[in-house]
Amino acid sequence: MEDDVRRMSTRARKVAPKMVAALASTDNRTQAILARLEALENDNPGAELVEPNDDDDDASLDEDDDQVFQKKQSKGTKRKTRQAKALETAKKAPRTFLELLHDANLESLPPHVPSYLRAAVGPPSSTSRRDFCTVCGFSAKYTCVRCGMRFCAARCQNVHNDTRCLKFVA
Amino acid sequence: MSSNVVVVLDNGGGLIKAGIGGERDPTTVVPNCTARPLSSKKFLLADQLLSQTEDLTSAVLRRPFDRGYLINQDLQSTIWSHIFSSLLHVTPSSSSLLLTEPLFNLPSIQRATDEIVFEEFNFKSLFVSDSPSLVHLYEASRRPYDVVSKAQCSLVVDVGFSFTHVAPVFQNFTVNYGVKRMDLGGKALTNYLKELVSYRSINVMDETFLIDDVKEKLCFVSTDVARDLQIARRRGNDNYFRCTYVLPDGITHTKGFVKDPIEAQRYLTLSEKGELPQEGANEDDEPEVKSKPNKVDLTKNEFSLSNERFLVPEMIFRPADLGMNQAGLAECIVRAVNSCHPHLHPVLYESIILTGGSTLFPNFAKRLESELRPLVPDVYQVKIATQEDPILGVWRGGSLLASSPDFDAMCVTKAEYEELGSSRCRRRFFH
Repeated sequence: MEDDVRRMSTRARKVAPKMVAALASTDNRTQAILARLEALENDNPGAELVEPNDDDDDASLDEDDDQVFQKKQSKGTKRKTRQAKALETAKKAPRTFLELLHDANLESLPPHVPSYLRAAVGPPSSTSRRDFCTVCGFSAKYTCVRCGMRFCAARCQNVHNDTRCLKFVA
Repeated sequence: MSSNVVVVLDNGGGLIKAGIGGERDPTTVVPNCTARPLSSKKFLLADQLLSQTEDLTSAVLRRPFDRGYLINQDLQSTIWSHIFSSLLHVTPSSSSLLLTEPLFNLPSIQRATDEIVFEEFNFKSLFVSDSPSLVHLYEASRRPYDVVSKAQCSLVVDVGFSFTHVAPVFQNFTVNYGVKRMDLGGKALTNYLKELVSYRSINVMDETFLIDDVKEKLCFVSTDVARDLQIARRRGNDNYFRCTYVLPDGITHTKGFVKDPIEAQRYLTLSEKGELPQEGANEDDEPEVKSKPNKVDLTKNEFSLSNERFLVPEMIFRPADLGMNQAGLAECIVRAVNSCHPHLHPVLYESIILTGGSTLFPNFAKRLESELRPLVPDVYQVKIATQEDPILGVWRGGSLLASSPDFDAMCVTKAEYEELGSSRCRRRFFH
């Protein structure tokens, strides 16, 4: 066993465990890709998702008095529990398209009926893809072993590791 | 007088095109969203977003559409009522509505839409259409001697805001089993550009409106990616793609602009080999140009773009590069055609119509043709026509339909809706 290790080059010895780790967790990579595609459909990607209940929460300074007044008033009447409030916002919030799609239950349609799901173009005929460096945009030779993103040179790799690696993995 | 008013509403995910049927151009084209600038608490609607004085830096956006389908009916009806009352000046209860909806709209969304139209706005009657058939209608009437109108058949390629549809149209009806969809459109491209710029120079993740403008002004489709990447690698003035965009500073200008529009247009004159045309007059300018530092001035808020300009629209042709497991646009077209009857294949390839805002990238049609040609059998001709105005094409078709004499007969009236309900009425539209 020890003989085997010694026969490998230093590079192989260094890289091999990393490769094993990467292959074991292909999950990371698919997760990263999916998260990236999801991010492309997001309307306000810069902001951390804030719940749209700003009508009562972020009052400006001049409205402070009003709010205090309201709070006093609401103490007298019935108070909403946190649960009830959460339920209410969940009801108010529009449902995403994917939820609606799930509810429509299109899978149950017979196969000859065209539907949203069947209209998708499907995977490309050739699996080849061009790889662009995620740092500088030029064609990339190398893949990050952890997250699967591409980079073209050691310089870009350093930038990638410092800033972006595993960014899209929760 | 107002008894015959038909409101034509092309309700897109990105832009609403609204106007009165029978006219050539829509009255308004406004973004279908609301946004709240950082400085205020109020959400701005539709046309208020287009005003020159409004500072939309880091505005929080809300859209009624998600992935191309209407999900937030409340927001949509707020935007509509604003459009009807203060932009179109129509009274819904005495007018008809021609509405476009995305292909394969879900029944639950259709029901909710009918509810807004008849119960909230009280429209007299409603006609719902999909966009490819309207595009076909408009093109067929515009070119009466073309294949499109002789064969009554065309292939509409709609590269929209949320997704891309390739839809065969036959006898004014969209052939729904032939429709193919790619989940990639203008919104994803803008967000992709945002991501690239934010990563490489300045954080613009919040600036949707700004980056939309950058995309529209600076992005183009490369006809030879390998060559263009080589050019983009060059330094200084030899890099024909490098150009600078100046961000708004909030004081002297509230909208961003391209620093040197002539420099930004240089790529259009590139020859096959990737050289700029040599002109005698140019040599006099050269020393001056060289002395000008071509670096980004960090004191001013600006960023420069080079390979991003063509790598962003590139994704429509090869979504696989982005990790998306979908075929590119050319292959999408081939699959859509192949799912139709073989007799239609030659006619479809000969009458491809490009529409939708994302086809406005320069060189789009040229690139598509060079990608499509090798995939199509030699005996068929490939002919790609770009619409005169790809954004308004659908609306103009709708306007044409609304002014046709049989339009009233095709509509579902409010009385019928109340009698039969949403789903029965929908059958009339053959969806």
